[in-house]
Amino acid sequence: MAESELLRADLVVEYPFTRSTGPVVGAFLTGLREGILLGIQRRDGTVLVPPTEYDPVTSEPLTEMVEVGQAGVVETWTWVDPPRPQSPWEVPHALAMIRLDGADTAMLHGVLVDSPTEMTTGMRVRAVWADQRVGHIADLDGFRPEAS
Amino acid sequence: MGGERTAVLGVGQTRYSSNRGDVSIAGLVREAAYRALEDARLGWAEIDAVVIGKAPDFFEGVVMPELYLADALGCVGKPMLRVHTAGSVGGSTALVAASLVQSRVHRRVLTLGFEKQSESNATWALSLPQPFSVSINAGAGGYFSPIIRQYMARSGAPDLIGCMVAFKDRRHALANPFAHLHQADLTFEAVVESPMLWDPIRYSETCPSSDGACAMVLGDEAAGDASDSPVAWVHGTAMRSEANNFPGRDEVNPLASRECAADVFGQAGIVDPRAEIDVVEMYVPFSWYEPMWLESLGFAEVDHGWRMVEDGSTDIEGGDLPVNCSGGVLSSNPIGASGMIRFAEAALQVRGMAGDHQVDGVRRAFGHAYGGGAQYFAMWVVGDQKP
Repeated sequence: MAESELLRADLVVEYPFTRSTGPVVGAFLTGLREGILLGIQRRDGTVLVPPTEYDPVTSEPLTEMVEVGQAGVVETWTWVDPPRPQSPWEVPHALAMIRLDGADTAMLHGVLVDSPTEMTTGMRVRAVWADQRVGHIADLDGFRPEAS
Repeated sequence: MGGERTAVLGVGQTRYSSNRGDVSIAGLVREAAYRALEDARLGWAEIDAVVIGKAPDFFEGVVMPELYLADALGCVGKPMLRVHTAGSVGGSTALVAASLVQSRVHRRVLTLGFEKQSESNATWALSLPQPFSVSINAGAGGYFSPIIRQYMARSGAPDLIGCMVAFKDRRHALANPFAHLHQADLTFEAVVESPMLWDPIRYSETCPSSDGACAMVLGDEAAGDASDSPVAWVHGTAMRSEANNFPGRDEVNPLASRECAADVFGQAGIVDPRAEIDVVEMYVPFSWYEPMWLESLGFAEVDHGWRMVEDGSTDIEGGDLPVNCSGGVLSSNPIGASGMIRFAEAALQVRGMAGDHQVDGVRRAFGHAYGGGAQYFAMWVVGDQKP
């Protein structure tokens, strides 16, 4: 059978979801809208960013939200070139695990530099905020190297 | 039934409602799990494994949510198993958990089912259009209404039997503080006059869309013996499945349902289910499934199930076989939890802990769930004495 005779049909599955974020992740997202970064304190004093509702080791409920710094250290990174169509960034960039000042865990986000030669593990980066913020992880445009 | 004797040590439920927007999925499951642990008077450290079930991931759009729920369920570093058998999943999940105790793999297992229907729209998630097929876009009610019609034709049941079931279950729900629908002012006439959605299924004969979670703690014989509060002993467990479409399939009374019932009652040594079972929690998302399952499960003769509805046999007030004293799926339907709620309510009845919808003197209770196109079945019998 010739290629042109094959039956074809598009199937686009589109489906809306509503997410109830709860008191902890909800507070983190609200913080992004306000331009601050929130973590949560564990019983031993360590701080998780992003925050989780339950302690990842003991499963205790966590409630002590704390503000952390807007700059931190790149713990590890990878270079993305080219970005996939769903990426929030259209140009090549780094994806990095960033441990913010005052936090004990690292958070995934983009580092907006032009070339992988500008990236090093251990470098310091600072948050860049979007002008319009709605309470979403994309309220952070990303991070840029901190001026030394 | 062979293997380790197994007991229900604790039950925990959330209030069922149309939208638990105040909690995340993690917060929802945590609430039920914590209440089950409190009821069992155990801590997270005393649980060996977690068995979790829910309906398709598509319903909330979180793929493999069990992975992120490990923190909330206190099972980081412990075995966790996910079960998925469509609407029967809550029952199947409890049975998988029971099998881990019966086989002496674990001593105490936390099992939980949940759904957060407010995060999507399950009815239409089940009716996605397919290329080159006519989409009837009918939802679950559209699938089951012709089967119900067939039952009505076969049995000669009067038209309003379904309305009687719905009115009964909604009245039962008034005595269950966890039930989603509390319609104190509902009248039988209002059920009959409610809009016809999928003829012969009226609006008031269908289940609601609910958020909620239900959990149980299951333990081995030593754990059951050590419990300070009454436990429910598992007397029989069975699961069966069949394809939802094959020549000669009896869709009204599926073979898998009949064989599953025969297996579970055989394990429990029950010869006459109507005489030997004191209370039933049955999966009835559309009213007519009560008489249909009464027949399939052997509580009534074939074509006579509707008579038990008509004469009030299944009513908590005055009935000899009360069915769905909790209000049933018709009053609360967090899909992935709905089967487990049936199993848990059966356990609460034999423990004497069902509160205002407790039936006096329950010694053996039956929990039932079905799913898919009435093709997946899960059942258990629990009793106040060891098997």
